[in-house]
Amino acid sequence: MFELGLQAIYSGVLTGGYYALVALGLALVFGTMRVINLAHGELVLLAAYVAYSAEVHLAISPIAAIPLSLVVVSLVAVLVYVLLSHITRDRELNSLILTYGLGIVLTNLMLLIWSADIRSTTATWFQEGAVLGDTLYSSRSEVIFFLVSLVLVAGLWFWLTRSWHGRAVRAVSSNRDAAMLMGVNPRTTEVLSFLVAGLLATFAGIALYTGKTIDPPLGHALTIKAFIITVLAGMGSIPGVLLGAMLIGITEALTISFVSTSLQDLAGMVLFLAVLLLRPQGLFGFGTRRG
Amino acid sequence: MLRLENITVGFGGLTALANVTLEVGARELVGLVGPNGAGKTTLFNVISGLARPKAGTASFNSVNLLRKPVQARARIGIARTFQIPQPLHELTVRQNLIVAQTFGAGHRNARRIDEILDFIGLKRKAEENAADGLALSEHKALEVGKALATEPKLILLDEVLAGLETAGKRQFMQTLKRMHQEAGLAIIIIEHDIETILALCQRAVVLDFGKVIADQTPEEIFRNPAVMRSYTGATPGA
Repeated sequence: MFELGLQAIYSGVLTGGYYALVALGLALVFGTMRVINLAHGELVLLAAYVAYSAEVHLAISPIAAIPLSLVVVSLVAVLVYVLLSHITRDRELNSLILTYGLGIVLTNLMLLIWSADIRSTTATWFQEGAVLGDTLYSSRSEVIFFLVSLVLVAGLWFWLTRSWHGRAVRAVSSNRDAAMLMGVNPRTTEVLSFLVAGLLATFAGIALYTGKTIDPPLGHALTIKAFIITVLAGMGSIPGVLLGAMLIGITEALTISFVSTSLQDLAGMVLFLAVLLLRPQGLFGFGTRRG
Repeated sequence: MLRLENITVGFGGLTALANVTLEVGARELVGLVGPNGAGKTTLFNVISGLARPKAGTASFNSVNLLRKPVQARARIGIARTFQIPQPLHELTVRQNLIVAQTFGAGHRNARRIDEILDFIGLKRKAEENAADGLALSEHKALEVGKALATEPKLILLDEVLAGLETAGKRQFMQTLKRMHQEAGLAIIIIEHDIETILALCQRAVVLDFGKVIADQTPEEIFRNPAVMRSYTGATPGA
């Protein structure tokens, strides 16, 4: 019983790392632009499909496909931004409709290009077991991308809080008018946010492709997961995303181990609702934020 | 230096500014007065780029302002403060100034930041978070500091003295005077308090219902019956 619990928590933590990768880009764009990119999950999935094509046609490993995925996903991310930048009124609400629609378009494009078949990597190395201390089991992909996730969370946090470009990004998110009056070009910082979100989505996509199976409708599910984690974390909190993602991961894993696999998603949702009821600003959010 | 001609701004059916023409030279200190809703802040918004006029022209050192976005105007030397302080939350007081310097002035100079901190009296609070830990007067000082850090030629002050107690007000006015004299800035200041305008400015412009109704010395302004009527709703001595 104890070992089962420990294994569940270990798996949950690793899954949380992957969830964090999926959610970071959405949290970043929300935190800096007050825009919820409902096509973010599709960007993650797109990165996975590019890796799949690279594997099939170029015979390269999913890791080697990262630069290619990065280019494709960044281009699409910038395209999303260009379309968003044409919204002049009520950007917070209208961007929901725009990005939701873009998500549908992307899903169908992927359906056209890669068909509805379920795909997975042929590089079985990633799915082989990695055993920690003789008792805790996981796949190599999970461990690798858990570590990647930690590095990217730390890197993102460092970029936002310590670099001047990151500070400009936060300046625009904190107060767009005031930042402009200080000479900051909000468009530059916003494009930058989208490019970084594209980078994060790429890594999430490679983690997805090496660890799980993919099919076109998955993008939508990823977006929802990312959104839940972003809200759970407290909108815009980067370390909160990692902890919120782990909380969801652990809750799901414990539910799978001790209750039933079919209740996995329900458990995550219940946790989410409980947090919304008890702490509407999210686990690490501020009481109020000024826009 | 700043030249506005026939600036007209409307929000829906409401005309906020009607044919406002105004010229401000280098090193001038101009008071902008008028009752609430007269269009004073809207005029600042037009100059800084936050509001777009329906008609009229605006130039700054012969550069057409209306074609430039807000951040570009900040970089050519127009700075402003807000009536309600708008610090960058999550950053410290010093970081607020450095962001303004890095992007507004286009270079980094740590000594200049220290001078500004000294000047606005926030040296001791430099490492405090700008969102909390500052009193109102300190928030107002930070507004001025951020504006100064962009190395402006013209600075627009929107009721920086409002809400301060008398001692704080007097101290702040000294800071403004020094700023004007030492840094050689042109300043336009929105202020309700007649004595402040009399003490600070060489020239006062009165806005009422979006129109310039007087442009004289402060002494003349406050003897002008039309001004006093719009300002207080009564004629002097009545």
